[in-house]
Amino acid sequence: MSALAYSYSESYRLPAGALALGVHLMFFALLYFGVTWRTEPPQGMVVDIWQSLPEPQPAPVSIAPPPVEPPKPIEQLKPVEPPKADIELTEKNKPKIKPVEIRKPVEIKPVQPKQVEPVQVDQKALAQQAAQAEQARARAAQQAAAAAAITSEIGKYTGLIRAKIKRNIVMPADVQDSMQVEFDVTLLPGGSVLSARRTRSSGSTAYDEAVERAIMKAQPLPLPQDVSLFKYFRELHLTFTPKEE
Amino acid sequence: MEVLQDLSFINLITHASVLVQLVMGLLLLVSLMSWWYIFLKMFAIRAEKKLSEEFEELFWSQSDLGKLYQNGTVASGEAGCMARIFSAGFAEFAKQKRKPGADNIAVMESVRRAMRATYQREMDNLESHLSFLATVGSVSPYVGLFGTVWGIMNAFRGLSNVGQATLAHVAPGIAEALVATAMGLFAAIPAVVAYNRYAHDVTRLSSRFESFMEEFSNVLQRQS
Repeated sequence: MSALAYSYSESYRLPAGALALGVHLMFFALLYFGVTWRTEPPQGMVVDIWQSLPEPQPAPVSIAPPPVEPPKPIEQLKPVEPPKADIELTEKNKPKIKPVEIRKPVEIKPVQPKQVEPVQVDQKALAQQAAQAEQARARAAQQAAAAAAITSEIGKYTGLIRAKIKRNIVMPADVQDSMQVEFDVTLLPGGSVLSARRTRSSGSTAYDEAVERAIMKAQPLPLPQDVSLFKYFRELHLTFTPKEE
Repeated sequence: MEVLQDLSFINLITHASVLVQLVMGLLLLVSLMSWWYIFLKMFAIRAEKKLSEEFEELFWSQSDLGKLYQNGTVASGEAGCMARIFSAGFAEFAKQKRKPGADNIAVMESVRRAMRATYQREMDNLESHLSFLATVGSVSPYVGLFGTVWGIMNAFRGLSNVGQATLAHVAPGIAEALVATAMGLFAAIPAVVAYNRYAHDVTRLSSRFESFMEEFSNVLQRQS
């Protein structure tokens, strides 16, 4: 009944007000520091996938003269191992490197009549032979270098072609990594595709068709500047697998 | 309109239209007040519970009611609602007893009336501001929604001036507008929770006071 009856809440006014303010400050601090909505446009990015790294300075491809039959290969020449290209070139397309025939070392058998001849003559012949051998070796080395340049160029461009096609593949759903589809692609000079024939199906029609579409979409395919190399690209045998490489 | 938008919280508020800002300001004020009342009621009800318990203990341990009436805290009215109800009842009882030839039943009636009056006043005091919390809880979401609808209307009106409409043009406006709804909900949810909680607490206290009043009447009847 007394005046004090209503004053009991007076003493709580200040702490209650402070607490209410505190709650709001906390809430706004949470919003301010916890929520920073920023919209940033995603940076566009184009990635070229290269099968093989190009040489820092592509050596000018000098087409070697048709191999001349070496007079008498004496030494065993190391067979030029062409760098493993990802592409299988059809039989008739095989670069002319292979034809660098490496003969089995031939033992020089002194011809019968020579034996009868005096020693000076024999020595003269031997010197001549040695010079010839030296010449042959140099020629073979030159050929090997040219062949290596060609194979590296072929490897580089087949890698580029494959990368461009793979970029254009719209991967269908449920493809297994183990699938493999093979195509015989006939190219025209300039990089357009004359025909793409499937030689081996992957088992998934969707993936086969996706690859075929990608081959068509990837036109023009990259080809080397050197027109004389086109013969290696006229008919390509390409193998694709969904696996990321 | 630039593509890169800084949607930080401050920007959302400062870029909103005037009406939305007004709504947000109102909601902030309402929210502050409701929280203030929430804490005020929390302290008051907690103190009242404690005082009532203490007084009940004192009441049942003391055989001499006159001495209890003279007790310092009880006499000054600082011992809680229950003590004030007791004081009112006992004062009335003492007054009626002093009158010669008082009817016992009439005395008890007037004592009950005096206690009832104090009880009503105390309950009114305890329940004060609870209606404010109820109002905030039910109305502030609508106020927030109003701000949001207004903000979205503005966002779409601005969109009509742009030839090619993209999501980037509408999104900031809608985000700004939705802040109003968020604030409305922030004000409403604690208010509703607190209102339900305190209404329950006050009901329990009132039933406690009523049973005390009955018991005290019985004690007085025995003494008269």
